[in-house]
Amino acid sequence: MADQELTDRVKELIAENQVLLFMKGTPSAPRCGFSMRTVQVLDQMGVEYGAIDVLPALEPLREVTSEISDWETFPQLYVNGELLGGCDIVEEMFENGELAETLGVEQPASEADPAEAANQDGPYKSPPMDIEGA
Amino acid sequence: MAADLNELKVMIEDALPGSSAEVIDETGTGDHLRAEVSAPQFEGRSRIDQHRMVKAAVRQRFDDGTIHALTIKVLD
Repeated sequence: MADQELTDRVKELIAENQVLLFMKGTPSAPRCGFSMRTVQVLDQMGVEYGAIDVLPALEPLREVTSEISDWETFPQLYVNGELLGGCDIVEEMFENGELAETLGVEQPASEADPAEAANQDGPYKSPPMDIEGA
Repeated sequence: MAADLNELKVMIEDALPGSSAEVIDETGTGDHLRAEVSAPQFEGRSRIDQHRMVKAAVRQRFDDGTIHALTIKVLD
């Protein structure tokens, strides 16, 4: 059973942030290859997004997302209050243009090199909160 | 304990009648797997729902630690 206070906080964050990424590490210092790849995609989309580092409270957050979204692994990208997916879904939706459509932005030029884009300052905004170990 | 790729294929195909699944060992270590699945149940469902269905089919092998990562590719 997930911690109720943490569950409520997570639900609030998902409701408050149109685009919210739960990831391992931070956008500037990802601590997992899948989180890094998801950040690289988001940084190309030119949208503002919130990012939560799950590592300080990994297991409690896993319990929460398992209950509210039926999904246990990170990263997790939420758009308009709904779980869109993890790294593989985000990359697939990026490649076929569905991600741009979902985010309501133009598909970036296809020749953009994700690695290069990641070196630029992305539109990532400060994390809306730090989740302390629960 | 290494995953039994054929067992996973059968678990997916049993859970989703009419589906077709291929499970591939991506790293050769038996714990990072890729499943390519097509299923009539996917029709009209979001990507995340499609992945949830595949994961639910093999949940037992996640829970017992046989699999750590499963990349899912939905084939149309």
